[in-house]
Amino acid sequence: MSCEVLDQDLEAFVDHELDDEGARRVREHVAQCEGCRVRVAERQMLGRLIRSVPYRTAPDRLRERVASQTSRSLMTRRVFTWAAAAAVIVAIAGGTALLRPSMPDRGTIMAEVVDGHVRSLMANHLFDVQSTDQHTVKPWFLGKLDFSPPVVDLSSSGFPLIGGRLDYIDGRPAAALVYQRHQHTINMFVSDDGRGASTTIERRSLRGFHVRHWTRDGMSFWVVSDLNESELDEFVGALMR
Amino acid sequence: MPAPVFETTVLPHLDAAFNFARWLTRNDAEAEDVVQDACVRALRYFSSFRHDDGRAWFFTIVRNTWYSRISRRTSAADATPLDSRQDGPADAALNPEMRLLQRDTVGRVRQAIERLPVDFREVIVLREIEGLSYKEIATVANVPIGTVMSRLARARERLLAELQTVASVETLA
Repeated sequence: MSCEVLDQDLEAFVDHELDDEGARRVREHVAQCEGCRVRVAERQMLGRLIRSVPYRTAPDRLRERVASQTSRSLMTRRVFTWAAAAAVIVAIAGGTALLRPSMPDRGTIMAEVVDGHVRSLMANHLFDVQSTDQHTVKPWFLGKLDFSPPVVDLSSSGFPLIGGRLDYIDGRPAAALVYQRHQHTINMFVSDDGRGASTTIERRSLRGFHVRHWTRDGMSFWVVSDLNESELDEFVGALMR
Repeated sequence: MPAPVFETTVLPHLDAAFNFARWLTRNDAEAEDVVQDACVRALRYFSSFRHDDGRAWFFTIVRNTWYSRISRRTSAADATPLDSRQDGPADAALNPEMRLLQRDTVGRVRQAIERLPVDFREVIVLREIEGLSYKEIATVANVPIGTVMSRLARARERLLAELQTVASVETLA
């Protein structure tokens, strides 16, 4: 690969938007070309500089204004929704008393995982134990769960562990481990799977949140964040190492 | 799967929407107004919300809201005065000299981004700060992915040229 070819791929490489093969070719070129190594490093440094500018969060005044607007507007719609829901429940109760509650499918659990993530951010209940030390977080779960979730700090890969809390997924207690990447929060839910088979990583998205799911060592893992997909995959990769 | 709910689809991204609007408008009060208007629009159009990325959808509405506001004015480029508010507290772990240096760096980086033309500024913010993929940025800015890439490349060239002298304190970033 020549430097001219890299011109086109430089941004995509820095932004993790190249496929594996493309990224490998750029890495090989960069390894032996001082000029391009500098160009990549400059762009990565620029990214860090840009992210060092403090994030501006919505002022409380705006939050309140939006909340009151929302509740007023949704009120009318809700009344109809509840009336419709009540009608459906009456119909179901009358018609299908024999219906068995079925096992929740993975889509339902995923929605639950995303809700759990959103709730943790909205209710400001991100941690029960706030620590960047894995040796503080791991023992905290002892006695609260009947399995031992793996707790690793990934600071060296750019994903510092910031805490943990007890949560529920699929009606079962789960460990929620909280990691951070720039301004983004990553929640990792670990619950006892009970089946024991290991699966490959499933990649899904829901409502603007990206979700990764797999099972390993009898535990079920759900990773959820609004972080972009490539960095989330980087996180999962660092976790698997 | 249940229908998406406004409170859990859009509202969790209020901070991100404000930060994005702040970079577009470069002004606190204007950013607040844009986000509030955007929420009203988002509520109104929410029943037509289909695809599943609430954040990118909300960003698109914030951006469109701002564009329709400035198109009503004569000179879009200088419509809103730039806020010259100072930066937040610097890292307390640094000694006073380093802190000054860091504050100076942050200020210069912010200025350099604010001076970018808005087409460049929005792709830089969506990519570097919000971490959106090229595809998502293309949707929000309503341009092809190729255009996103070329704007990013040119924006980075300009920022690097402007910040060349900051490079000496790069280790602080």
